[in-house]
Amino acid sequence: AGFIKSPLSQKRLTQDSVELYCEAIGNPIPEIQWWFEGNDPNETYAQLWDGARQDRVKINATYNLHSTSTISIANLTGDDSGMYECRASNDPDRNHLSKSPKVKWIRSQANVFVIERPEIHVQLTESSDKLILSCNMSSPHPTITGHKWIHRDKVLEEDENSSAFTSYIIEGTREEHSGVYECIYEGNPQIRAQVNISVAPQVTAYKKSEHGNEGDTGVLVCKNPSFPAVTTWTWYKSGHGVSALLENASGRYIIKSSGNKTELRILKLDIEQDQGDYFCNGTNSYGTGDATVNLRVRSRLAALWPFLGIVAEVLVLVTIIFIYEKRRKPDEVPD
Amino acid sequence: PAPAEAGRAPGPPDGGWGWVVLFGAFVSIGFAYAFPKGLAIFFKEIQDFFGTSYSEIAWVSSIMLATTYGAGPISSILVNRYGSRPVVMFGGLLCGVGMISAAFCTSILQLYICVGFITGFGLALNLQPSVIIIGKYFLKRRPIANGLAMAGSPVMLCTLAPLNQFLFDNFGWRGSFLILGAILLNCCVAGALFRPIGPGTALVKTQVTEKEKDALKGKITEDSPMKNKTEEEEGKDCFEKINQYLDFSLFKHRGFLIYLIGNVLMFLGFFAPIVFLAPYAKHTGIDEYSAAFLLSILAIVDMVARPATGIIANSRWVRPRIQYFFSFAIAFNGACHLLCPLASSYTGLVVYSGFFGLAFGMVCAMLFETLMDLVGAARFTSAVGLVTIAECCTILLGPPVGGILIDTFGDYKYMFIKCGTVMVLAGTFLFIMNYYNYRMLAKEEKERKKKEEDPKSVWTENEGKITWNKDSMQDGPELEPLREEGERVKKEVNGT
Repeated sequence: AGFIKSPLSQKRLTQDSVELYCEAIGNPIPEIQWWFEGNDPNETYAQLWDGARQDRVKINATYNLHSTSTISIANLTGDDSGMYECRASNDPDRNHLSKSPKVKWIRSQANVFVIERPEIHVQLTESSDKLILSCNMSSPHPTITGHKWIHRDKVLEEDENSSAFTSYIIEGTREEHSGVYECIYEGNPQIRAQVNISVAPQVTAYKKSEHGNEGDTGVLVCKNPSFPAVTTWTWYKSGHGVSALLENASGRYIIKSSGNKTELRILKLDIEQDQGDYFCNGTNSYGTGDATVNLRVRSRLAALWPFLGIVAEVLVLVTIIFIYEKRRKPDEVPD
Repeated sequence: PAPAEAGRAPGPPDGGWGWVVLFGAFVSIGFAYAFPKGLAIFFKEIQDFFGTSYSEIAWVSSIMLATTYGAGPISSILVNRYGSRPVVMFGGLLCGVGMISAAFCTSILQLYICVGFITGFGLALNLQPSVIIIGKYFLKRRPIANGLAMAGSPVMLCTLAPLNQFLFDNFGWRGSFLILGAILLNCCVAGALFRPIGPGTALVKTQVTEKEKDALKGKITEDSPMKNKTEEEEGKDCFEKINQYLDFSLFKHRGFLIYLIGNVLMFLGFFAPIVFLAPYAKHTGIDEYSAAFLLSILAIVDMVARPATGIIANSRWVRPRIQYFFSFAIAFNGACHLLCPLASSYTGLVVYSGFFGLAFGMVCAMLFETLMDLVGAARFTSAVGLVTIAECCTILLGPPVGGILIDTFGDYKYMFIKCGTVMVLAGTFLFIMNYYNYRMLAKEEKERKKKEEDPKSVWTENEGKITWNKDSMQDGPELEPLREEGERVKKEVNGT
């Protein structure tokens, strides 16, 4: 038996998770076990099994052409620090209680360091059209090699300072720049923290005025691009001074909503009933916002009148031209 | 018709009712060129309605363009047979019917047929006769007339674009198609203005040949040379009949061939820059509205450039050498494209749009004028039909080839370089070949003048035949009129 892949030593923060991977080959296929020795001088190696440490340990092993085993430990604590050993043996007597095995277990070690997660103090300050986001890491903390600010997977700013404090300035208001921003401390290991800019829903209409043909389906859309997402959407129709709440159940209306968009479909548009202003209202834990959409319903025959008018104009002009020609030179008109 | 008008009809009026016809042609040509481009506004909505991809919708435009250019020969044949007026009125009717039926379409295939084929064919029947009738009404002021008529295209485009947007907002795409169908019926009005002129000569000619035929048939019982002559006459009549509808003998015409090759080459790079100007601007980081504004600048400069070019081309110094002016315009166009990649800022692109509009207008204004100049008004009808169907292929190829270049290299400049090179090549080719053509024409003119001066009775029959044969081997396609004169001379000699 021999190792194809050995587990790698890693540094992790508390409450993080860690994965160690081990692969061995031999004939017959060897068995893989995981053993742990803590940092205490008195401690000796003890075996780990799937479900150990209050179910924080998971071991996943496959024995096909060769043996692989992955051990993952979730919600790390300081006591999880220590030496992890991957042991493999294909001796048939390896687990026998009385017989001692001829072939010893081969071992491969990896060191896992669990560092206390440093506290990061995040802050958002607003002043005269400027937003300042800041992260301050408290000691003790691992060595910092740089900082990065990220929003929606796009890098906003990065540097290579080693200070515990980093900040990012945005020109504008909260409403314009709501969302989730992350400050990242580069180092071993990488440490991240989140700064949220939360506002009430900034609801806008996709199109301020919509048109639909009589008898067709009209679609009105409102969207909310801000953070956090809307939890409840409602639609109102104003007409004759009364706001009536529109519901999914009432036959002709279909409302489809998600966290950042809502769609109101009206089936079989009617000129009398359906024309007018519609309000969409979105609510989240920070407040509510709304927008107005105007719906105009075109009658089926709306285009007919201009059409007939133009056709009439064409006929009149052609007639005038021919009559003018016949009256001016009646003898020169060719057959 | 007055029988005293046997022989030549009076020259084109160059004014009077001609200006009204010009207005009609302005409208007709404007619709033919601007309408396919104006439809693009509706495509997004139609695409959403039928659930198709963008390329399937773009086929509507391509089919329309292909039919408009491809149906050129059919248009020419119809004009040769019936004259301009009925053809344009029928074309306008066809366009209207096409768009009205498109308003009730339920599938994209029906749209291809209604908007693509029917309306495209109607526009083809509009375009050719309008250009042809300008040649019939104007001679001295023809370049101005051509320039003014071709200016219809940018003017109509500038009118149609906001109009289409307004119609779409108020009536949806179906209602807009219905109303556009009615608007296209106005082409019938334009066609009604095309009062026929010149068919007097055609009728008179047929009467004269009939009389000649009867006279000859009467003498059939006389000597055999006469009999052979009648058979020759009848054989020629068959060819003449085909050529009456579509003059294929144009392919032996030197000037026509030069024009054909030069133009077919030019159209490879003519339209692609317009198609890709706005995407290129957006690619360099300019916002959508400014990019659209570039096209507006192009259209406005184009609108002014066309009549201005017409006026310049009509002047005493340029008119005799109009082919050189045309080649210069094409090469200028190509130079603009070659310099475009150097313009990186917005101001640079604005300058480019201005010059491009100028060059584009210059070329378009003289496009048909030069063809008329080369083949003459009589054969222009067939010439324009044959030219448009040949150009049809390269016009359709141009933008897709440009698109492939852009996609392969990821850079727009290769497309501009390709278009620029093609056009500079076409311009130089036309310049050199037309220089050669002018010299040959001058030589032939000198020889013809010499023969007219010599009295016919000096030559005996045999001598005449030998010298005629020698000359006929050296001269080119200009032989036709000379040979006919020779036939007439021989007949007279026989008679005495």
